[in-house]
Order: sequence, then structure tokens, then C-alpha cells
Amino acid sequence: MRAGSGSILQLLRRLCGRRSAAASLAFLLLVALAAVFADWLPLDPLTQSLADSLMPPSAAAWFGTDELGRDILARVVYGARTSLATAFGAVVIAAAIGVPVGLVAGFFGDWRDSVLMRCIDVLLALPNILFAMALIAVLGRSQAAALVAVGIAGVPTFARIARAQVMALRQLDFVAATRSFGGSSGYIMFRTILPNAMSPLVVQAIVLASIAILLEAALAFLGVGVPPPTPSWGEMLRTGKSYLHEAPSYAVLPGLVLTLTILSLDTIGRALTALLDNHDADLAERRGS
Amino acid sequence: MTSYVLRRLVQMLPVLFLASFAVFAMIYAVPGGPVAVLVGENASKEEIAAAIARHGLDRPLLIQYFDWLGNALRGDFGLSLHSRQPVMALIGERLPASLQLAVAALVVALLVGIPVAVASAVRPNSWLDRLLSGWSALALGVPTFWLGILLILLFAVELRWLPSASRHVPFWESPAEAMRSLILPALTLGIYVSGIFARFLRASLIGEARQDYVRTARAKGVPERRIVGLHIMRNALLPFVTIVGLMMANFIGGTVVTEAVFTYPGLGRLIIQAISTRDYPLIQGCIMVILVAYMLINLAVDLLYAWIDPRIEYR
Repeated sequence: MRAGSGSILQLLRRLCGRRSAAASLAFLLLVALAAVFADWLPLDPLTQSLADSLMPPSAAAWFGTDELGRDILARVVYGARTSLATAFGAVVIAAAIGVPVGLVAGFFGDWRDSVLMRCIDVLLALPNILFAMALIAVLGRSQAAALVAVGIAGVPTFARIARAQVMALRQLDFVAATRSFGGSSGYIMFRTILPNAMSPLVVQAIVLASIAILLEAALAFLGVGVPPPTPSWGEMLRTGKSYLHEAPSYAVLPGLVLTLTILSLDTIGRALTALLDNHDADLAERRGS
Repeated sequence: MTSYVLRRLVQMLPVLFLASFAVFAMIYAVPGGPVAVLVGENASKEEIAAAIARHGLDRPLLIQYFDWLGNALRGDFGLSLHSRQPVMALIGERLPASLQLAVAALVVALLVGIPVAVASAVRPNSWLDRLLSGWSALALGVPTFWLGILLILLFAVELRWLPSASRHVPFWESPAEAMRSLILPALTLGIYVSGIFARFLRASLIGEARQDYVRTARAKGVPERRIVGLHIMRNALLPFVTIVGLMMANFIGGTVVTEAVFTYPGLGRLIIQAISTRDYPLIQGCIMVILVAYMLINLAVDLLYAWIDPRIEYR
């Protein structure tokens, strides 16, 4: 039942079989590579040159220049770092808190379930962008605050999915077997149940990554996200909006990269969901026959 | 039904208590605590002592909380640190603008979303369905603030038909002027929400269309239009209403972002201003108002659900 490395490769191959998913994967790979190897590229996101401000796209600056004469493409590439780092960090925070909470709540199902789920309800009592804004109001505006705010906003989804998975799995024979061998509750939760609940959680991580990128950009757009001069896609849209007459490409091109990144993650998330559903159906059929 | 409403209200209470406590405790988590918030970090000893005495900050935390909550329930969140006006008055000025935007966006979303969902669900996997599903994916995936910028570029910068910054004009005072200001923000937010509507209503319609009662109706020779409009639609609305309730959060969040794009004077911009000026009483007031509104909307959705589906018994 456990997905081994062989089946992950197989899944990847099937994913690439879908044209939209393959294109999305290629685009994400490009963004990720650019973000990782940004320092080796001939790009400079910080040097200002007021004489060259708000230039349209050209051979020298493919995306044009911003109000301080900085290369917009360079800032988009370095902005990818901010976005991807926030997305990755946020997913890690959300999973690190949400999964154990969901496991404990679903596994015991007693007062612990009620207490933990009420706490999750409190997190859900506000739309996540407002929750993140409230948290930033307390922590002050910084990259770390944006990361924590986006991460905590993602806790409820992980908690709910982990809880639902545990509740479905804990009745099954292999869990009862582990218990009869004397496996502790912690062992059963994390070593027996969790590995079998991985696939929906992984899909959720991808979906959450796209939400995190959007949320980080939205916070920066509202002026409460990662503070300047760190390049951020949302911040670029915020500034670019002031120069729509002089340099329309300023707000359009970073927004396009942001949108394509979000759409790509969404496409892959949905393709994986469909593949895993088929996979589960296959397994069930094989076991039934 | 009455007892169900009461029970749901009682279930809301602990969440409301915990959440309001978190909102209250916010100023204690700020560096320097409530004293720094109220009198600034460079205040003299006398000012600090006066602030502590005036606001009763030396009392136990829980007593202070219940005091604050009591005032909040009466709509009193104190004075804004920035403008020195009552927080509730500032919110009251902005709330109608946000509500008007939300209603206008909802109209756009329903006008676009429902036809798209029905058209794609009638023939699942046809070219039309694939085209419209692609549209829903785009509507959901394109960030509202970027879509807003594109609409401004097209309709305000290039064509010069509509203003790029929107004022709030009450609809009943001047419908034409209100529409002019509202149309771009309402489109921006409405298209996003229409994506939610279209995607989930389509799934729900397709699920219902496979049910036996639909086959029976077809076999009896009930006209297709009647089957879709009356039989399938009514049943498909059930799961759909739940999703809409869950998606309400995105709607409210979208309103905040949309207001920022169009510098629209609503509650969302008030809260952003409050955060950037560290005006904590105003932040607390705005968050509490949105919190209560959001919980009431969710309750209303639950009740709507019970009302649509007579099969569900609420004891």
C-alpha cells in the first residue's frame, strides 16, 4: 500500500503524459532553476540607474526597467526566490503543526479531538488573508512574519485532511495488528498510519504551495508583506500599478509570471488528485478480485 | 428547526470567545505591550502611570478581557489612535461601501457562474465543457489584484471609458454614477467568485445527472429543460450551497484585495491603513466586525441548507 520510489517515478511519468501537467511541470522547473541559480545569471536586481528608469522591454532589459532603473526581469527572477522560499517554508510550517494535530485528534477522537478541532475552528474563524494580516500587525512587517503568517494560515487544511485519513485508517486490520504487537499510540500514528496517509497530504502540500505563493504576493501587494528592497512579485505589482500610464509592462509581466506559477501548481495538484484517485481505484479493484 | 438554530448559535460561542480573546490579547503580544500601544514607546513615567490607571491595565487579564468584550458587544472598541475618532464610527463609514461592492460582485458572479456551470454540465467532456472549465480554472487561478490591473489598463488607461480609482457612491443616490465606479471592482471580484461557482456547481450538477431519478424522469418523457432546471438544479444546489459557504472566506479576502487595487474606500482599505499606522484599537474593531460577519454568513448558509433540503431533520 505504501508508495515506494518506483511508484513515484511511475506517477511522474503518468503526470508527464498529460500535456497540461507536463507543460506546468516544465514551467515550474524553469522558475525553480532560475530562483536557485539566480546568482550565477548575468542579472542584477538592485543596482539603480535613474537615467534608465521605466524603460519599455528591450534587448538589454527583456522586461524593461522599474522606477529606479533596475532590471525588472532580474527582480522577477530574485522575486521567485522570495515566493518559492515562502511557499516552501509555509508548507513545512503548516504540515509540521497541522499533521500532528490532525493525527492526534483523529486517532483518539475523545476530548483531545474536541479541543484541537475547536482550536482549528478558531484559525478558520477569519479568512486566511485577514488572519495573516492580523498576525503581521502583531509581529511587525518582515519576511519571517510573512512566512509564519502564511504557514499558520495553512494549518487547518492539513489538520483536517490528516484527521480524516486517520479516522478512515485506524479501523483497518493492519493497524489492529500493530496494536496487538504492542505498538504504542505514537508508533501507530506516525509509523503505521501516517505513511499510508501520505498521498492526499502530498497533493495538499502542492495545493497549499500555490495558495502560499498567492497569499505572499497579496500581502506584499497590500504593503504588509516582505519589506523592500527584497524583490517580491506582489511588491512589484504594487509599485507597477502606479506607473500604468508610463510603463504598462511593469505590472503586467511580473503578474504574468506569478499567474503562470499559480496556475501550474494548481494544474499539477489537480492532475495528481485525478491520478491518485485512479490509482486507489485500481488498488481496490485488484484487492477485490 | 428553532432548536437547531439555537444549537448552532451555542456551538458558535466557544469559537467566538476564543477568537475574540485572541483579538483582545493581540495588543499584549505587541512589543512593549498595551502601554506602548496607547502612549508610544517614549512616554514619560507619569504618562505611563496615567494610561495604566485610565485603562485599568493593572487589573487581572481576564477581567480586562471581559470588560473589553462587554464594550465590544455594545459596539465600543475605543478611539482610533490615529484619528482619535470612535473605532465603530470609522467602521460604520466604510462598511456600506464594502457591502455594496460585495453585492455587485455577487451579482456578476451569479450571472457568469451559473450559465457557465449549466452549459458545461449539460454535455460533460464536450469541447464546450472543456473550454468553459478552462475559463473557470483561469478565473480561479489569476490573482484578483493582477486581473484588476489588467482591467484598469484596458478600460481606464487605453480606452478611457471608466475611472481607474473608484469612489463610493451609494447606489440609491445615483445609480449611473455608482455603476461607473463599481463596474471594474465588481468585475474583478465577481469573475474570481464566478470561477468558484462554475467549478463546484458543474461538479454538483454532473453528480446529480447520474442519479436514477433523472433516468426515470427521462424515461417518462419529461422535457430536458424541465429535468435540468427543476429536478437536477434543485438537488445540485445542496452540496453547492455548502461550498459557497466555505468559499465565503475567499470572497471576503478578495474584497480586501480588490479595494486596494481600485483604492476603493471600504473596510478592507481601512484595515490596511490601520495595520500600517499600527492603530491597534482600529485593527481589533475591524477584525471583530469581519469575524462576526463571517460567522453569521456561515450560519446563514447552514440554515439555507436546512431550508432547501426538507429531508434533513434537525433535532
